[in-house]
Amino acid sequence: MKTEKPVEATKTTEPLAAEPGIEERAFSLLDWMSTRGIFIFTGLLILTAAVFIDGFASLTNITDVFNRAAAIGIVAVGMTFVVISANYLDLSVVAQVATSAVVLIAISNEHGFLLAFALAIVIALAYGIVNGVAVGIFKANAVIVTLATTFIGLGLLRWFSGGSIYFGPPDGPIRAFGSTRLGPIPLSMIVLVVMTLLLSFVLTRTNFGFMVKSYGSNREATRLAGVNTSMVVIGAFIITALAAMVGGFVLAAFSNTAVSSMSDGFDFRALAAIIVGGTSVFGGRGSVLRTLLGVVFVSVLTNIMVLSGLGFGYQQMAIGLLIVVAVSVDALARKAAPR
Amino acid sequence: MTQTETPGSDSKGLDLGSGATDLMGRLRAIAGRRTEGRALALFVIVVVGTLIFEPRALTSYQVTLGRIALVGLVALGLTAVILMGELDLGVASTLAVAGVITASFDNLAVGIIAALVAGLLIGVVNAFFVIVVGINSFIATLGMLFFLRGAAFVLSNEQPVRIADPDAGIAFGRPLLGPLTPRILLFILTFIALHIFVTRVRAGREFYAVGGNREAARDAGIPVVRRVFTGFMISGFVSALAGVINTLERTAADPTAGSTVLLASFAAAIIGGVLLNGGRGSIFGALLGAATLGMLQVSLTLSGVQVDVQNIVIGSVLLLAVISDPATVRLVFGKARTFFTERSKPQPAG
Amino acid sequence: MTDNTMASSVNGDGPAIATAPIVEARNISKAFGGVQAVDDVSLAVPPGEIHAVVGENGAGKSTLMRVLSGIIKPDTGGVFVGGERLDAGDPRAALEAGISLVHQELSLVPEMTVAENILLGSTPSRGGFIRGSEQRRIAAAALEEIGVTVDLDEHISRLSMALRQFVEIARAIARKPQVLILDEPTATLTPAETDYLLDMLQRLAGRGLAILYISHRIPEIFRICDRITVLRDGQHVDTVATADAEPDTVVQMMVGRELEAVLGEHRDAKPGEVIVSAKGIRAPGVNGIDLELRAGQIVGLGGLVGAGRTELVRAILGADPRTAGDVTITLDGKTHSINGYGAAIANGFGYIPEERRTDGLALTMTVSDNIALPNREHLSTGSVLERGKIARFAKQLADTVGLRPPKIEHEAGQFSGGNQQKVVIAKWLGREPTAIVLDEPTRGVDVGAKAEIHRLVRELADDGKAVLVVSSDLPELLELSDIIHVVRDGRITGTLMRDEADEAAVMALASGQTTGAGA
Repeated sequence: MKTEKPVEATKTTEPLAAEPGIEERAFSLLDWMSTRGIFIFTGLLILTAAVFIDGFASLTNITDVFNRAAAIGIVAVGMTFVVISANYLDLSVVAQVATSAVVLIAISNEHGFLLAFALAIVIALAYGIVNGVAVGIFKANAVIVTLATTFIGLGLLRWFSGGSIYFGPPDGPIRAFGSTRLGPIPLSMIVLVVMTLLLSFVLTRTNFGFMVKSYGSNREATRLAGVNTSMVVIGAFIITALAAMVGGFVLAAFSNTAVSSMSDGFDFRALAAIIVGGTSVFGGRGSVLRTLLGVVFVSVLTNIMVLSGLGFGYQQMAIGLLIVVAVSVDALARKAAPR
Repeated sequence: MTQTETPGSDSKGLDLGSGATDLMGRLRAIAGRRTEGRALALFVIVVVGTLIFEPRALTSYQVTLGRIALVGLVALGLTAVILMGELDLGVASTLAVAGVITASFDNLAVGIIAALVAGLLIGVVNAFFVIVVGINSFIATLGMLFFLRGAAFVLSNEQPVRIADPDAGIAFGRPLLGPLTPRILLFILTFIALHIFVTRVRAGREFYAVGGNREAARDAGIPVVRRVFTGFMISGFVSALAGVINTLERTAADPTAGSTVLLASFAAAIIGGVLLNGGRGSIFGALLGAATLGMLQVSLTLSGVQVDVQNIVIGSVLLLAVISDPATVRLVFGKARTFFTERSKPQPAG
Repeated sequence: MTDNTMASSVNGDGPAIATAPIVEARNISKAFGGVQAVDDVSLAVPPGEIHAVVGENGAGKSTLMRVLSGIIKPDTGGVFVGGERLDAGDPRAALEAGISLVHQELSLVPEMTVAENILLGSTPSRGGFIRGSEQRRIAAAALEEIGVTVDLDEHISRLSMALRQFVEIARAIARKPQVLILDEPTATLTPAETDYLLDMLQRLAGRGLAILYISHRIPEIFRICDRITVLRDGQHVDTVATADAEPDTVVQMMVGRELEAVLGEHRDAKPGEVIVSAKGIRAPGVNGIDLELRAGQIVGLGGLVGAGRTELVRAILGADPRTAGDVTITLDGKTHSINGYGAAIANGFGYIPEERRTDGLALTMTVSDNIALPNREHLSTGSVLERGKIARFAKQLADTVGLRPPKIEHEAGQFSGGNQQKVVIAKWLGREPTAIVLDEPTRGVDVGAKAEIHRLVRELADDGKAVLVVSSDLPELLELSDIIHVVRDGRITGTLMRDEADEAAVMALASGQTTGAGA
């Protein structure tokens, strides 16, 4: 139904500046905090930790932080695509990471690495396609869809694995990969950096990344520009799933073990990293590189809490709070900005 | 050419397409209004299937009812929020925190009251972020999900906590009225209260307006902000009640309690025809959805199906439910805009 | 300020009013952005009068009515009911004073019943509980008053559009108003339903209700209204008694502006081959339309808001599914069938949608990115974007359309409406479309940008493109089009060549005053 009203409603929200003109947006503290603030916050957090927290600045601790950050970071840079496409998040990364880890160790033990790798890729594609089709074609809510696939996925994994812990051979290539390091930097960290650069390239330099961003900014305008939007959503979920697969490999290689519960908490840590990194849950804005900084922030924060003797419960509270606060800052910045 | 064309018609007898007036037509109209059809069909299938494969689920109805009651309770509260087009992902965590709070006090009565008050406060905080700050409720309550789960661990020192008066807890688990335990009675009471609230009470009825056409609700003078607060407080309170009941029956609070409740309660509401976008659905539908799921779960358990497989089944049911909503299916198959169908019928030229 | 006698002088040379007005608007002005939507307009309506407010799209009718019902706060001036000044911009105060607005857009809740919707926001209750019988009684009384029978317990989502419109009216009546405002109430009604509604309004006025009736449809106005106020470009042109006026003079007052200037702007059109052929198009709101677009020709689609023009172009493009009909486009001698939006874009269509902010632009992305989006294949090697190429490409197109300031790295949302529209056009120009469809290309756009957009449209046609323009802005339609099809109720009711088209002729076809004369 066409009405006259939208015309006027449109007019009121248009810039009041004299014509023709552009509205130079005033510096907004909230806006700055929600996008660029992460640089300062991460720096301050590390500085504070180094000064006040005993044991933080030690080589072993930093290596440990890197190791833990790597798997979550790889998941987070992948999931950034789903968040930018304005589909909130992919909860099923928990199931995806655990499945990939178990497949890597268990199948490698029995049938060799190649088959494990091939199976992991098939599983990742299945996750990406199921989530993507439900969200992109059936327009179902991403949170509910991925909640369902999390339970399906974890259920399948536990059913097949019986919840047992798998150990890789102590002298196998997985163990070798997990223990190799360049100076204080574990190989897993290098994988994280490579994944970040690769996905950052995909987001900022390729057609696909461009469409994801555009879709997150305005679905209908993107569709009317001739973009197959269903494929964009499916693609975003596939990228997330492939990243989660790599994350699972790295996680398994680090300890040379795999168990279905090893990725608990990956969903919200990854989301916290993405949001703190300034990617907007409202879609259309975001950066893979800043997600990496968000990962550093979340990992350092978790490490500080561990060193201070605060357990999993406190960490979960802190990260839940972090998500709500970061999104609030983004929401308030949007309210304040005239657009 | 002024007002010469005075009204000729007697103002009656114009067919405005008000629909059939005969009995069958009316029945069809009433059936069409209901959104519980899918739940009813699934319910019948599950009941028949249970009768054939696992009749024990019906003979040991107390177990079945108990299972339905816990998930159903949370689903009912959740429905109040979903009707307004919002979501509360924190329900299962609220259940866990409330359970721990119940057990944390030396006096059980104080513990129960504190837990219920906490549920209300959680609702207030959720509503604040959603309607005052303006965060999407998916994300706001997701934050609460993590925060509260963490809080449950912190408050309990990551250990199950025994309640102050285990005897009271054991008594609570006993049938009170015929075969009905207090858990089931409370569930039935909550169902009746919420059903009356959204059908007979003005504030509750207006939830449909807030969810169905928020702009119109605001224009009509409905206090949208207050309604959203009410909805989240109902959801928080009912989840906390479920937590209290759970803790009393087990005589201990488990910080990991209710980990599958989130999935099951959403599945129950969505199967029951409650539309995620708001404005459509009923408390009765949520009850049907919960009954269907509960019976399915108990049948599977009694048949020796392990929990992991049950999760696969329920997850699949939720996934199918969320993509098979009539509204969604319509959207996928060609955006049938019933809105305009009246206009596409041929009209005389002129 | 309760000077009732002042009312009769407000309307200047309008006819004297016998009774004191129940509602008055005094010297209302309201601007949106830089556009003066309503400029010092006054109006007074006595009880029992049906008072028409007419004007073209954008003349300020809806804004004035929204001021009267308290939805919009005017910049200057005030609204008086029974001589009492109302609190400006307070819908509840207006409602309590007895002003009820029947919304142009439907503001019902689909999953609530008829009775509930009629009393939405004022549900009778005791101790928080709804008094169901009271609710039904009031709703039934309101429906009785307008003489409409409908099941009180039926959900709105199951009613026809016409019934929904009547429920909206019942809702306004249930508030016991003294003044009823209707904004285009017949836009979605069939002729029979329209008859019914008009009779109903006359009965209501007979009982002393003052009615403000906004419509484009001149025959309806002459049938039921006592006086007519004409607005043009936000200004009050005149208020005349219907008995003293002729439809032609009213239309003249609505559209009367410098027609000569417009005529001078015409291109020398040389229509070529048929590029686009659409046959038997049916879709929701479109009831079987054939249309041809020729190379080098600008085809205009005229008609009232809600006539089905947007639905038609979207059905042709496949942006919304059509229920029947075939569309072909001829490119370099080859004819392609268009079965979906993707095929339309791939085969040389360009589409500038009606709603720029929701459908046209990604506002949080840069101008450069917005322009690059439909052209991404040409701006990348493999699937890697070439940033430098994009910047040059966007810069060149921004210059072509005259983006000001030409800062392509700024977010689209930061630009004014006119410049945003230029960006939407630029992104399609980059594809060099064979056929381009523009829906309301200058809505909400300032005068300067409007002229530039018109120049661009003409250049497209001069380049041999097939151009389709939908516009509710009559001078624009006349200025641009080589041929005008007028759409009403989802059909083409008349076709006018450029030399036979004028505002009155288009308006007459669009409003149903004449039918099929030029077809």
